[in-house]
Amino acid sequence: MAATKSQGRSFSLFIVGITAAAIGVASFSSGIGKLALIGGLVMLAASFGLFLKIKPEEGEVADKGQPAVMRVAGVLAAFLGWVIVLFGLNLSTTVSGRMVTTIIGIAVSLVGALALLPAAANKNPIWKA
Amino acid sequence: MKIFRIASATCALAVLLLAGAGTVARADAAPSASAAELKDAASKAPTTSTLAAGDPGGAITGTVSDVPVSDAKVGLTLGDVANQVGQNKIGINFTWTLLCGFLVMFMQAGFAMVESGLCRVKNANHTYMMNFFVYGCGLFAYWILGFAIQMGGAAGSGNLGGLQPLASEHTLSLFGKTWGVFGQTGMFLSGHSYDVGVMVIFLFQMVFMDTALTIVTGACAERWKFLTFSVSSVLMGAITYPLFANWAWGGGWLAQLGSNMGLGKGYADFAGSGVVHAVGGVTALACALIVGPRIGKFNRDGSANAILGHDISAVLIGCFILAFGWFGFNPGSTLGASGAGCLRIGSVAVNTMLAGCTGTFGALLYMWVMKGKPDASMSANGLLAGLVAITAPSGFVNPISSGIIGLIAGVLVCVSVAFVENTLKIDDPVGAISVHGACGLFGVISVGLFADGKSNYGGAWNGVTGSVTGLFYGDASQLVAQLVGVSTLVGFVFGFSYALNWVLDIFLGQRVSAESEVAGLDLPEMGQLGYPEFVFTPEPAFMTATPQAAVA
Repeated sequence: MAATKSQGRSFSLFIVGITAAAIGVASFSSGIGKLALIGGLVMLAASFGLFLKIKPEEGEVADKGQPAVMRVAGVLAAFLGWVIVLFGLNLSTTVSGRMVTTIIGIAVSLVGALALLPAAANKNPIWKA
Repeated sequence: MKIFRIASATCALAVLLLAGAGTVARADAAPSASAAELKDAASKAPTTSTLAAGDPGGAITGTVSDVPVSDAKVGLTLGDVANQVGQNKIGINFTWTLLCGFLVMFMQAGFAMVESGLCRVKNANHTYMMNFFVYGCGLFAYWILGFAIQMGGAAGSGNLGGLQPLASEHTLSLFGKTWGVFGQTGMFLSGHSYDVGVMVIFLFQMVFMDTALTIVTGACAERWKFLTFSVSSVLMGAITYPLFANWAWGGGWLAQLGSNMGLGKGYADFAGSGVVHAVGGVTALACALIVGPRIGKFNRDGSANAILGHDISAVLIGCFILAFGWFGFNPGSTLGASGAGCLRIGSVAVNTMLAGCTGTFGALLYMWVMKGKPDASMSANGLLAGLVAITAPSGFVNPISSGIIGLIAGVLVCVSVAFVENTLKIDDPVGAISVHGACGLFGVISVGLFADGKSNYGGAWNGVTGSVTGLFYGDASQLVAQLVGVSTLVGFVFGFSYALNWVLDIFLGQRVSAESEVAGLDLPEMGQLGYPEFVFTPEPAFMTATPQAAVA
C-alpha cells in the first residue's frame, strides 16, 4: 500500500500534538499551558489511534513476527546489565572492584542485545520460509 | 619613561583580565599613566581623511579608533579596551563554533550520498529522502524539547560567555550524592534562553544530534516505512539522544562520575564517539532487529548474499564530504578557539586526519589480505570507522595514539560487519551498526586507555581538576568511567530504543509491504523514481521472490 494521504494526515496530527504538548510543558505554570498539554496529549493519542487504524492498509509484510517472550527477555537483560553496573559502583570503592562489576554488567547487557534479541529475530525469519 | 608607561598599562590590563571581571571598572577616576597612554594612542590613530585614501597594505585598518568608547566625554579607557578584549574572545569562539557547526551540518549530504550509494537504484529516492527529512524531523524535535533536556542545565561554558540562562538541571539524590538527570530550560529557545550564547550552542549541538539520527536510516534502508521512520526520528531527536547527551555533556550523572565517585575526570567523550555515534549505532541495531532483513539478503541455510549498492562513486565522494565535515565535529568541540586550552584545536584536527587515514589502511589492507581485493565500500567504512573512533579521544590523545586507534577501528569494522551479517543474521545495508556502534564504543573505551594527560582545557574536565588520563598513562579509574558510559549505551540506550521502536512497530508497523519492497520503495513510498531514465537490469531470482512467497 505504501505512503497514503491517511498516513500524511496522521503524521500531521502527531506533529501538532507533540508541539502542543511541548508548549504545555514549557508554560505549565499558566492555565493556557495546562490546557495545551492536555490538548497535545489528546492529539498524540488520537494520532496513534489513527496509526493503528491505517496499519492494515500497508498490506502483508515479509516478516512473520518475533516471539514476544524472547524479546522481553532480551530488553530486560539489556537493562539489567546497566542496573548491575550502577549498583556495582556502590558495592565496591576500589577501582578494580568497580571494573569487575562494570564488565559483568556490560556482559549481561550484551547477552540481551547480541544473543537473546537476535535469537528472537531469527526464530521465524523470512529467509527460513 | 615610555617603556615604564607601556609596562604599567599592560600590567593594569592583565590584572583586569585575570580578575575575570565581566563588568570592568570604568576608568572615570583620575587619569592614570595608562589612561594617558591610551589617549596618546587615540590621538595618533589614522584620521578619516587618511583612511579615505584607501589602505591597500592593511597597515592602518583596525586600530585603537575601532575600539568602542562607552563615554565620549571621558574618551577611551582601560575598561573599554578590556571589554573589547573579552568580546573579541567570545566573538572568536562564537565564529569558530558556528563555522564548525556549519561544517557538521554539511555532513548530512555526505551521509545521504554514502547511504544511497550503498543501496539499490530502485530505493535511491527513498534513501535520499530519509536522509533529507531526518534533518527536519530532528531539528524540529530538538527545538521544541530535545535541546532543553540535553542542555537545559549546562550553564558554565566560559568559552561561549557562560550560558547562564541554561542553569536548571533536574537532579536525583542517590547513594548520598546528587546526580543530574535532565535539563529543564530552553524549550522553543524562548524566555531567558533567547540569548546569543544559547543560540550558538543550540546550532552546534543540533547538528550533532542530527548526525546520530541519520545513522539509523542506513541500517534500516530499503525496507523501512517512511511514516514510521519519521515518527521514530522525531522521538529520537526529542528524547533518546538528548537524554544520553545530557548525562555526558549537559552536566548529567555520567559527567559527574569523577566528582561524585572519584572515577577519573568522569565520563569523557570529547566530540561524541559515544554521544553521537554509539547512540546512533545501538539505535540502528535495535531498529534493524525489529525491521528484519531485506528479502533476498539471506538464503535458507542462513548464508548471506551480497546486495551491491548502485553507485560506489557516490559512496566515496560522500565519505570525503564526511571526512571534511569531521573537521567541524572534532576541533569544533572545543567550543572555541581562544582561551581555556582551545589552542589544542590544531592537535585535535591532526588527530582526526590521522585516524581517518589509518582507519582506511586498516580496512583496505584487511580486505586485501583476507579477501583478495581492496574493497571500495569497506575501505570507505574504514575511513569512517577511524573517524568515529577518534571522535571521543581526539582532544585527549597524541598523534601516535590517534594512528593506533584509527588502525584498530579500521580492522574492527571489517570484523564487526562480518559478525553482524554472518553470526547475528542482521541485515545492515551500509554497515552503520559496525561503523558507528562498534567503533563508537571502541572510541569511548580508547579514551580510558590512550588519554595522555597533556590536554588542559581550563585546568579541569567535568569539574575535576587536572587532565583526562587513561590506563596506559597511569589512571585506571578513567577507564572505569568510560566503561560505565559503554554500559549505559548498550544497556539503557539500546534497551530504550528497542522498546520505543517496538511500540511504534505495534502501532504503525516498521516495515513496508513485501510488494513494495520487491518493487523498490521509490514509487510506492515516494511516488517518484530516483533515476527515472535508468533501465533497470533484472535482479537475481532470490531478490525478486513474489510477495506471496516472501510472506508464505
